[in-house]
Amino acid sequence: MMNFEALVQALVDAGVEFVIIGGWSAILQGSAYTTEDLDICFARTSENLRRLARALASYHPRPAGMPKDLPFVWDEVTMRNGTVFTLDTDVGRIDLLAEVSGVGTFDDMKSTAVNTEAFERRVRVLDLKSLIKAKRAAGREKDLRILPELEALLEAQEP
Amino acid sequence: MKQLRALTPEELARAEERLRNPAPGSRIEAAQKYGIDLTLLISHLRRTPAERAREMHDACRVVEKYRGAAAKQK
Repeated sequence: MMNFEALVQALVDAGVEFVIIGGWSAILQGSAYTTEDLDICFARTSENLRRLARALASYHPRPAGMPKDLPFVWDEVTMRNGTVFTLDTDVGRIDLLAEVSGVGTFDDMKSTAVNTEAFERRVRVLDLKSLIKAKRAAGREKDLRILPELEALLEAQEP
Repeated sequence: MKQLRALTPEELARAEERLRNPAPGSRIEAAQKYGIDLTLLISHLRRTPAERAREMHDACRVVEKYRGAAAKQK
């Protein structure tokens, strides 16, 4: 069953360095958007890849949309060989990105990301301005569709 | 690092005023014309980030539950 809270808690408790991006970033900042996956941008240090692989292992990650019996090894080596992973897990889909269009890597986001309490943990979240940049840069229809709402939220909260 | 927290009463009042009465030519007015329900944004901004997450998380699980039930009936 879908349980994004469990995913976030597993990542935080394992000490994974990540920023929540995408739909959940929008939701945490007031959007009425709905999403069916958790998107995160992760740091690509060896230690972080190790922690990330370990944190998700118990939820049996596998490439999204692939047959369940397809051989797939989930470990830090797999993570080192890629920068984008779309995974189905026992508790829902998670997208792992090492870099986000228009915004950059985890290190680039560190200075602008915001810290908040959610899912019973302290988490880093992509700030609204950067989220707008990312959505605009991604340029897909589903990304552009949310822009008017995000722009309105930003304007409503400006000093 | 900046904190994302619940809006203060003053911030919320300002945001609500802007969302209830969008200034002509504003991005809020553009969103309204696009079809965004601004009252929904007001109700979300009244909550803390944790409450927003909890509410959406619960809603996702309800949708999944009914989707599963519908699939079983087919």
